[in-house]
Order: sequence, then C-alpha cells, then structure tokens
Amino acid sequence: MATSKSRTSSFSCNLTAVPLSNMPGLKYGANGTVFISSGIPDLDKILGGGFALGSLVMVMEDAEAPHHMLLLRNFMSQGLVHKQPLLYASPSKDPKGFLGTLPSPRSCKVDKDKSRDDDPEQEGLRIAWQYKKYFGEHQQTVDNTRGGKHEYCNDFDLRKPLERHFLSGQHIDCVSILHNSDLVALHDRCATFFTQFPRNDGSIASAGRIAIQSFCAPQCEYSNLEWDMLSFIRSLRSMIRSSNAVAVVTFPPSLLLPSVSKRWQHMADTLLSVRAIPDKELANLLTGYQDMVGLLNVHKVACVNTQVPVILDATTFSIKLQKRRFLVLECLNQAPIDGASGNSYGTSASCSSSSKTRTHLDF
Amino acid sequence: MAESICRALRDGALEGEHAPALTIRDSLASPFGFDVFTHVLTQLSSNILAGKSQSGGLVLVAFTRSPSFYMRLLKMRGIDVASSRKWIQILDCYTDPLGWKDRLVDSGNITSLSKEASTGESSCKNIKDMAKLFTSIIELGKGLVGQGKVRFCVAIDTVDEILRHASISSVSRLISNLRSNDQVSSIFWLLHSDLHEDRVAAVLGYMSSIVASIERLNQSANGQICNSENLSLLERNYWNGKLHVRFKRRNGRVRVMQEEFHVEQSVISFTTLSPGDELINRSLMPKVQFSLQLSEKEQNDRAKVVLPFEHQGNGKPIKIYDGRRSLEDSQDEATSVSTGALETVDNSSKGEIIYLRDSDDERPDSDEDPDDDLDI
Repeated sequence: MATSKSRTSSFSCNLTAVPLSNMPGLKYGANGTVFISSGIPDLDKILGGGFALGSLVMVMEDAEAPHHMLLLRNFMSQGLVHKQPLLYASPSKDPKGFLGTLPSPRSCKVDKDKSRDDDPEQEGLRIAWQYKKYFGEHQQTVDNTRGGKHEYCNDFDLRKPLERHFLSGQHIDCVSILHNSDLVALHDRCATFFTQFPRNDGSIASAGRIAIQSFCAPQCEYSNLEWDMLSFIRSLRSMIRSSNAVAVVTFPPSLLLPSVSKRWQHMADTLLSVRAIPDKELANLLTGYQDMVGLLNVHKVACVNTQVPVILDATTFSIKLQKRRFLVLECLNQAPIDGASGNSYGTSASCSSSSKTRTHLDF
Repeated sequence: MAESICRALRDGALEGEHAPALTIRDSLASPFGFDVFTHVLTQLSSNILAGKSQSGGLVLVAFTRSPSFYMRLLKMRGIDVASSRKWIQILDCYTDPLGWKDRLVDSGNITSLSKEASTGESSCKNIKDMAKLFTSIIELGKGLVGQGKVRFCVAIDTVDEILRHASISSVSRLISNLRSNDQVSSIFWLLHSDLHEDRVAAVLGYMSSIVASIERLNQSANGQICNSENLSLLERNYWNGKLHVRFKRRNGRVRVMQEEFHVEQSVISFTTLSPGDELINRSLMPKVQFSLQLSEKEQNDRAKVVLPFEHQGNGKPIKIYDGRRSLEDSQDEATSVSTGALETVDNSSKGEIIYLRDSDDERPDSDEDPDDDLDI
C-alpha cells in the first residue's frame, strides 16, 4: 500500500533499493546517480540513498559542540569497512591519531531488531498524534531481514574502535594542514587522490572518500586567506565532478565573515549543519529531550542529473545516541504550540549568544 | 558559576583530552574583567597550595601588570607568597615586551637601568615570536613541576597585548599547542572584546571550552536620562554586573549559567541572579496569539461560567439556550434585577455568556437539525 510507505520515498524510489552485488559500497539511484553510504543509516534515508558520487558535502560546525566529528567518524569508518580509499586532512599535528577513534560496525543482528521496539510502557491506547514517526518502524523490520555481511550501510558502535585490519591498508592517507601556509600542497594531494577514480562511462572500479576536518580552523596559517580557501573549494568541486569520489568538508561558519560563509555554502552540493543544544533551554518545547546530543539541519541535498529539487518533509533532526553507542537521527517532535508564529523559535531558540545569524528551526 | 569555573579549571584535563580553556571577556560597558581574572587566579592559587587541584604549579604570563603587582595582590588575598618559587612562575612581558630597553642600553644611550627586585621571574623580550613564547612558558612550567606526570596551569594576563603584535592565527596556534601539551592542566586568559573585531572574539571562543562574559546588569538602563537621581543609581549599578558563562560539556551540550557580581574596592563577590533579571526562561515560551496562563481571577471566573448544555444540578428544569430570551427568563431577570441592589455580590460574581444574535429575523434553529431533541 502506498500509504504505508514513508513520504520521503517518491515513486521512483524502487531503484534506490538496488545495491550492486559485487560492490556492496555502492548503490544505484534515480537519474543515473550512484550513492555511497554516509555511515549513518538514518542520514542515508533522509538524503535519498546516501552521498552521490561526484558531489561535495559540506558540514557547518557549531563552535560549541563536536558533533561534526561524529559525522566524520561514521563516514570514514564506512569507507574503510568497504575498503574504499580514504584521504583525511585535519588541522591537528597527528591526524593518524584520529583513526584510532573510528567506530566499528555493530556486531550482533539480534540487538538491532530489539532496539526499535522500545517504549515498553506505552501499552494500551497509544495516541499517535505525531503519526509520521511510526511510519518508518514498519520499514525497519523489512530492511533488517535482508542480512548479509556486506551491507551498504552499517550501524556503527561508537564505543568499539575499528579493528586493526581495516586500518592497515595502503589506501589510507592522513595529512595535517596545520602548518600549511597556503593550500597548494593540499590541492595537489587531492588531485593525485582523484586520479585513482576517473569517471568514464564504463563500470565503476572503486569509489574514494575525502574527509577534510575544520577547514578554516584558526590555527592553520592559511586561515586568513579567504579567497584562496574559496578557490580551493571551487577547484575541489570541479575535480570531484569528474571522478567517482565524495568529499566531506567541515568548517565552522562562525569564524568566517558572513559573506564568505555564504559563498562557501553555495559551493556545496549537499549542505548539512550541526548545532549544540543548550542545556535545559529547549526542554519545554521538545519531547525526548534528554537523549538528544545535538541537532542536525539539512539545508541542501545534491540533485545530480536532474532539475527537480529535493524537497524534504523535515529539515531539522535530532542527533541521538541509542544506548550511547549508535547514532540515530530523529525528526523533531514539537509540543503543540501555534505554528503560525514560526519565527518565534528563531529568536528564542538561538543557541549561541554571540552568533548573529538567526537559526530557524523548521519542523 | 564562578565556583563552577574555578572547579573546572582546578580539575583540569583528562588523559588524552585537551586542557580546559577559559576566556574571560569584558567590554567598556562593564569593565571588570580583570577583577574576575584575579579572582580566578586567587582561587586557583589557593587550590594549588592546598593540593586540591590537578596542577602542581601556575605559570602567569603578565602583560598589563608587573610581576611585583601580582605578588602584592596574592599576598593581600592571603596566599602564601613566601614559598612562591615552588608553585608560581611569572613570565614578565610587561617590563620590556619588545626589547627596547635592551636596545637602548646596547646603543649606549642609557648607562644602566634600575631593576626591580625580582622573585623568581623571567622576562620575555620579544612577544612577537610565538614559538619562543610557547617554549618559555613550557620551560617555566617544567621548571616548576618537573618532567613527570604533574601538570601546571597557565594564565595569560590579557591576550590583547599579544594580538597587537601577532596575528590571530598564530595566537590560536599558541593556545592550541598549549592545550594539547601533556603537561598543561588548564589555561585561562582575559580579553577586552571591544578592542578587537568580532572575529577575534569568535576565534577565541572557538578555542576555549568555557566562555565567561561580563555584562552590565540592567540592559534597559541605557536609555535613561542623566539627572542627579539617576546618576547615583547608575553609579551604583556600575559596580554591579552579570557574569554570563557558557560551558561546553563533554557530551556536546552547552550549559548556560548566569550570576550577579558586585565589585567593592577591587574585590569581587558573586551572588545568584535576582529573579527579575532572569531573561533566559522568559524567552523560551514561544510567542503565540493567545495567552497560555490564567490569572487567579480568570480561573475563578472560568469555573463560574454557566455552560449552555450542561446540567447545572440546582433543581431548575433544563433549558437549552437557543439565543432567544423567553418570557420566563425575562421575568426572572426582572426579579433578579430588583433584588440586585440587595444581592449585588452574588450577581456580580456569576459568570454569564451574553449572546447577541445577528438579527432577530433569523428563526431559531434554522438549520435542519433542531436542538430540541437533544436529551441531556
């Protein structure tokens, strides 16, 4: 029945359920796009399959919370599990140390089925006035039965570090951008990385992942060269178009001038932002507040080979850690308040006192 | 708030984690940043001396006051400075930050310089060189606590002075190097935010785990006319202020706290914020077009409203109100009005629903479904 499917799937969604059998890390999508997983099952669903090959994903960090690291960790782990080559650049002195914090895929299937049936106290009459969040549950059980060792997207256990044998490949490259006085070296590094995955009309040999963390971090010497950074992003985007790779770049927009930050946001094919939750401030307005660690906003979703834009049901999601181990994204359930004055959330719920931008929580 | 800040700095860093960093920022509206800085410094010093803190020593990088000033200040606050060589080292960047005096002596213009009696301090002659500053701080710290596992704290008087001579990226590199150094337990500094562009404050906030802002207490007092009465009020209010703290917690949440402070002869004291100033909770309830709260009187009135279809339980036959005033009602009303003078209290407290029909031409129950057959 069409009504039992969640509304995020369009009528062309049947194609997105087809993974390539010989390459579990890739999935065919609509309009000839090929997706790789972001490492977070909920995010893949929201984005309609994952990150499209050849696209640039940018994540706007919040200066007050390290949630972008969660996204990066899952992204990098997923690539390593699927043996996709990885290039990681970070402003720390020893980027290789970060690899030690990558999570491992969830081991036991049994846990997965049980975890979705929580809320044991809700027996008897359940008033499902926020009925949309229950649609997804039906589909979860369908997906779980399709087991197999090589899944397109794994659930990552953030408490378990990735096993050594995943990290010992030749295909992991870590670069520190702390002491770079300009971006030429990083640009050349990325260019050589992309030569491994040229895009031609034939079959896809392998897909690559680039993760650049905190691109405009103030410790880096090049961080005051705004135009150089912008032109690096632009050339990264053009290089990635002609290759089978995905790049995820995180940056803190509060450290840039608003006009510069806007330009960077326009450069992205898929734009996400993570925000911290001030303690107790939003407790009255949101249900399930205690489990939330942060908020994720989806600003833009890549539409490749199509002129039809992707319009999502909801753009704000809460980041929760299930059992403090597994990253899940949930739609925000707001308390029933008059929604016409939607802007009141923007003014009262702005998280950072020093930020000038009005964040707009839209449900 | 000030307590929590001092506690966070005292507890220091966990293994494998960056050291906690505090930014104290103030502005001309409420320029008591230095008092907060000295308060934190005093608290941390007493914790170090009592052995309660993770760190065994403190390195103070002094830019705006001389080292002897700090010694006097600590002595006045009751900290034991006799043994200061064991637990505090002051890097003197105040006397000659750019090395001019040395150059004057070298060029022969001045024969000798008067030197203050030093108590175990060393000086920095070139604050433009961030790498040198970093190594001096680390060396001083190691001199205090040795090479082993014991850590030391770093306090930077103001970051403004460094920012005059070095770029924000080199200062942030210095801070991040200090934070990631294994032997640094915690680090804190003062910033006068109106001396710099917004970006500088944003960068320093990004690099720190606690941001304490000093603000004026009554923001609404800005537009007051200056006359003699207000002047004394303004002057009294000047010495009070609000300390607004944002903690970045390990689980990714931000804790926001506020506290009031009062400065009396350069000694600062903290009190909890009076409820009138708690703007945080007020702004949370979204603005809607109807009020969600009922006052006491409104609640009473609501309880007294006679609902049209409900059994009132007072023995009268049930009458379904259809908008027309029937003959009986008007008679009842007439009698009640006449006795109204005697029973004003009862009548006035009875709630009523007054329904004015649009026009009298309209027949009652003109829709297909007459209400008369309702048997309630």
